[in-house]
Amino acid sequence: MITHLEQMIEAVKAKARKRIVVAYANDIHSIEAVHHTMELGIVDATLVGDKATIVKVCEDLNIQSQKFRIVHESDEQKAAHKAVELIIKGEGDILMKGLVSSDKYMRAILNKDAGLLPPKAILSHVTVIENPNYDKLLIVGDAAIIPSPDLDQKIAITKYLIQTAHRLGNEKPKVAIIAATEQMLPNMPACVDAAIISKMGERGQIKGAIIDGPLGLDSAIDKESATIKKVKSEVAGDADCLLFPNIETGNVFYKFNTKLAKGELGAIVIGAKCPAILTSRGDSALSKTYSIALAALSAD
Amino acid sequence: MITNFTQLVDKVKTVTPQTIAVVAAEDHATLGAIHRAISTGFAKAILFGNQLIIESLLAHYEIPDHSYTIIHQPNEQIAVSEAVTMVNQGKADILMKGIIGTDIFLKAVLDKTSGLLNQGEVMTYVAAMQIPTYHKLLFISDTAVIPYPDLNQKVAMLKYSVEMAKRFGISKPKVAFIGASEKAGNQSQTAIDASIISKMAQRGQLGEVIVDGPLDIFLATQPESLSIKRINTPIEGDADILIFPSLESCNAFYKGLVRFAGAELAGLIQGTRKPVVLMSRSESENSKFYCLALACLMSNKNL
Repeated sequence: MITHLEQMIEAVKAKARKRIVVAYANDIHSIEAVHHTMELGIVDATLVGDKATIVKVCEDLNIQSQKFRIVHESDEQKAAHKAVELIIKGEGDILMKGLVSSDKYMRAILNKDAGLLPPKAILSHVTVIENPNYDKLLIVGDAAIIPSPDLDQKIAITKYLIQTAHRLGNEKPKVAIIAATEQMLPNMPACVDAAIISKMGERGQIKGAIIDGPLGLDSAIDKESATIKKVKSEVAGDADCLLFPNIETGNVFYKFNTKLAKGELGAIVIGAKCPAILTSRGDSALSKTYSIALAALSAD
Repeated sequence: MITNFTQLVDKVKTVTPQTIAVVAAEDHATLGAIHRAISTGFAKAILFGNQLIIESLLAHYEIPDHSYTIIHQPNEQIAVSEAVTMVNQGKADILMKGIIGTDIFLKAVLDKTSGLLNQGEVMTYVAAMQIPTYHKLLFISDTAVIPYPDLNQKVAMLKYSVEMAKRFGISKPKVAFIGASEKAGNQSQTAIDASIISKMAQRGQLGEVIVDGPLDIFLATQPESLSIKRINTPIEGDADILIFPSLESCNAFYKGLVRFAGAELAGLIQGTRKPVVLMSRSESENSKFYCLALACLMSNKNL
């Protein structure tokens, strides 16, 4: 079982090398990150973007541009569509966002006729967090895509968290459904959904995990709090996965982890035909590497 | 632990008889049950109604004079309010409906100032069933009062059923919330409410009790079903209490068992300060008698 993000790199190396396609790779950050993972032996890369700019960036970085397959497309939106098209044609296993804006990138993924989303699929965002104050990885969602998930979306997110845990070698992850309290308060929608989803877990309708909620964040990840509060739960104090009730909670947890709690992370968009990377400019170089490694682990 | 109605009767016989206030007692079936309760030794009666008719009906029974009082009050409206007052004053322990209309009877019970319901309590119906093919008594709710219970009413049904089961010596009752299947999700309010209430129980919000649901009747009462359906449930096919999603389902369940499986039933109105006996005319004489025994068990705090 992988308990540190760094271990993902070794785990990926043991598998067949994955091919990454970068949408609008006209910038230093994405070329640097992709190049680094190529050097680690994790991926091969196709850069879609303005060829002259890409070559220039490579020169500035002292990287040989011949290492990449470069597909010329100087328009931002068209480059995103082109990258998606390459994935559909089977020429890539992972999609990555370059300099293209998030909405144009997502538009290309979500495009009904030529996008990456299977019919009725739910697209969500999974983050794997390593924090020095927790003895294992935390797999959390959704910090970036679904603003106020309804029950079906929460069930989908739960399954994505479990699937990611399995990919990290955790065969029976403990999933905590987060609310403001571990008390079952029927007038709090987060508690109601938590009760339903944990019952679905008990009934085997969601497999491969132990699920409990509602749990407060404290009782989910802190054994002492769980003991003091006398929460009888297999998950309490020892969660592997956290399902957040809404995007704000997930997003704050994600940013708090890196900015104030000295954590690192890797994140992917999940639910499309292939894992997609949606890094934010605020992410560290290390987290970009981890995101690529996580995507490579998640790609079939 | 009391596991059948014979044991229930044996238990209530051991202590001071409870006083039952009967409203509109001029009825054979009612007096028959009262007669049996008195002669078994666990009840006394205050009979409201038309004295002449009551006396003529009583001539059929051998009831010792000291075990009953007749209060002549032919007006059923006045009779019921007097009887409720007596129960509230502690002069009677149990209220029982005779041939008075159910509406008038319940209106007096529910009256906010002079009735028997404490503020915040929910009036519901809990019955104990003795079923020849089940190894113990099975408590069910609600056969008679709340047509479509909401979440709060279901929690109240659970609370009263548990209170009743505890009087029978079941220290940690197993409560199954019944649905057509055990599947969770948001497709039905039955499944949603059952998930919520079982989580409340897991979190210790409902006291000493084991709750699971939704479960079908098989998973709730038949251990073999667990392995057949590959479902794990702490009820283990050994439920003490079944809470039904609607009055129709609960009512049909008990009538089906009475009609086809030789079951007996004893039920009470719950949520009231003192036991209220309200029986359907179609219930057997045995059931009526057990109802009174149940009321005495619930009323006598020394048991």
